[in-house]
Amino acid sequence: MPYRVVHTPEGMLRHPKQLFHAMWRDLLAARELAWRLMVRDISAQYRQSFLGIFWAVIPPLVMAIGFTIASDAQIFQPGVTDLPYPAYVMFSTSLWQTFVEAVNGPVQAVILAKPMLARVNFPREAIILAKVGEVGFNFAIKLLLIVALFIYYKIAVSWTVILAPVALIHLILFGTLVGTLLSPLGVLYQDISRGLTMATGFWLFLTPVVYPVPDQGLLGALVKLNPVTPLLVTARELATTGVLSLAPQFWIVSGITFLGLLITWVTFRLAMPYVIERVSS
Amino acid sequence: MTVTNVEPTMSASADDRETVIAVDRISKKFCRDLKQSLFYGVQDIATDLTGRRRKSDRLRNGEFWALKDISFRVQRGDALGLIGANGAGKSTLLRIISGLIKPDTGSVTIAGRVAPLIALGAGFNPILTGRENIYANMSILGLPTREIKRRFDQVIDFAEIWEAIDAPVQTYSSGMAARLGFACAVHVEPEILLIDEVLSVGDIKFKMKCHQKLAKLREQGTAFILVSHNPHSVLNVCSESIYLSKGQLITAGKTETVIRQYEQDLCLSGNESAIGMMVLPAKSRSESLGLDITQICFKDEQGNLLAAPMTGEPAILSVECWAHESIVGANLGAMIKSLSGEHDLVLYLTSAGDDQLLEVQPGVVELQMQMPYCGLIPGVYSAKIYIRKGVYSFDIVESFRFTVKSQCTTSRCQFYQPRTWNVVQKSDSTLPEI
Repeated sequence: MPYRVVHTPEGMLRHPKQLFHAMWRDLLAARELAWRLMVRDISAQYRQSFLGIFWAVIPPLVMAIGFTIASDAQIFQPGVTDLPYPAYVMFSTSLWQTFVEAVNGPVQAVILAKPMLARVNFPREAIILAKVGEVGFNFAIKLLLIVALFIYYKIAVSWTVILAPVALIHLILFGTLVGTLLSPLGVLYQDISRGLTMATGFWLFLTPVVYPVPDQGLLGALVKLNPVTPLLVTARELATTGVLSLAPQFWIVSGITFLGLLITWVTFRLAMPYVIERVSS
Repeated sequence: MTVTNVEPTMSASADDRETVIAVDRISKKFCRDLKQSLFYGVQDIATDLTGRRRKSDRLRNGEFWALKDISFRVQRGDALGLIGANGAGKSTLLRIISGLIKPDTGSVTIAGRVAPLIALGAGFNPILTGRENIYANMSILGLPTREIKRRFDQVIDFAEIWEAIDAPVQTYSSGMAARLGFACAVHVEPEILLIDEVLSVGDIKFKMKCHQKLAKLREQGTAFILVSHNPHSVLNVCSESIYLSKGQLITAGKTETVIRQYEQDLCLSGNESAIGMMVLPAKSRSESLGLDITQICFKDEQGNLLAAPMTGEPAILSVECWAHESIVGANLGAMIKSLSGEHDLVLYLTSAGDDQLLEVQPGVVELQMQMPYCGLIPGVYSAKIYIRKGVYSFDIVESFRFTVKSQCTTSRCQFYQPRTWNVVQKSDSTLPEI
């Protein structure tokens, strides 16, 4: 017999050893499926689209043009940035977008997979993993834009650029954490996906994407409290100047992210059966 | 109490084979109000996350038991039918067995991989090609990629979509998509197959192919649970069945027995049981039109009262009258409607229609319609009975309700067909010598 399972009404937290064993087993089992789902989603995403993969780079371009025009017209003064302003906006927007995709990904994916979840028992981690992979893939395309940008503006790159992926991964993981935590609720209540669109829109204003890190006023305080700030800023600084202005905060948020991911994973596993029983097949 | 009856009957014949599914006193509660249901869901999650015990064995406000204390066992290679009306809890039971939702009491032990045929084409993406979808779908059902590669050709052969394999699934006909889904699911070759009302896909040729494939899997030791509210398809596949009604396990055992009970209950549910005899108050001379119906019932050949005529058995419709005058050419009519189904008229018989004009003498008379076989299938019926002469009505009874019962299976039959079976040997097997 391949394996033996017992389904009981008991909460899984009451048997932590079994729980972690099952989590590990499912994670291993989920890898191949996650890859399949990712390939499926990415090919479907670009097949029914004329512009295809260009959708990964169009939003940062549009955003950069918009803000550059606005700052040229002195409607809004972003202050001094490390990079030429259009490059700054484009690079930061790419990072920010990756974060937003990482937040929205799990919520949307779990909602979309509802019919599948309601009928087949498979390692549900695969849905999340596939989405993380997709976010990574989309960033890889954005990277082409960023490289082109660096060459065009002749931006000097420090050796620390090889460490930039670390910060980027932490940024994606933090987004995945938020998204995964919300995804079970998102299946039950539509409020989650609606609220998320609004919240990420507002969150953008509290993140140094179109302006450099402010050091005073209410905005300055809010930006400092924003956990995305150190992750995004560090990724940007590693890729360009190599001088880290928010290193301690970066490590604090990273630590919280890794601990949070574990808790989120447990929460997700515990919550999903209850969610599935509330949605019909 | 039903529970204790179940296990011996199921395991007695097959205790030498290993048990692949052991369902032990499971219950599941649901809530009909959506908002409340969602809220209870959140409440359950919160309780579980904080490590407290859900009081899952008690109903909260607005909840009901969708399943209550169900127990049974399935051995390797067994096929178990799950019979019950819509909403009896069949699909819920399958979802608990496949581990999608947690039971509220009891436990389910599963040994082996479960493939649910509830989910034909789960994860099919209409934009992607058949080829890509086979990989995604079989992967969801738990097959590693190298195994999918190995079985890929078998799947296409089975689904018969060779030429369309590289076309997007959204260009497939619904039959093709269903065939592909079925092909994927059966080629996972699991230890346990849960089949939920899916054998109705495709044309007759494909259906036969499905049945053959299922029979082959069963020979290889795959256990089945087949759900249907059409008992006929269960009868073909499963030797043992259980019958669920409103979340309760009503009976378990041989499929024929279980189906008979199910059909009888199906006919009676929702209707008060008919009495079998109707006695009418006497009319005064001024009210009477010359002939009054006083009593209606069914009798057997010996003249004894039949509370319920049996399908396929002889029955006599007896209409007792009080005649005030002598009548020549009376016409007895009976319009019989089925109350179990669509309230359709099933029989309209008149003696005049059969060129039988009845002669009635004054006094008490019994008019009989003799049926050598009662051709009605089990169910509750209402008969409108009248006696006329030409267009002149003597008396009308608007509704005489009666029940027809059965000792034979009439599943999927519209009426009882008297029959015998026979083999006629046309020649012997030796070839004629030339």
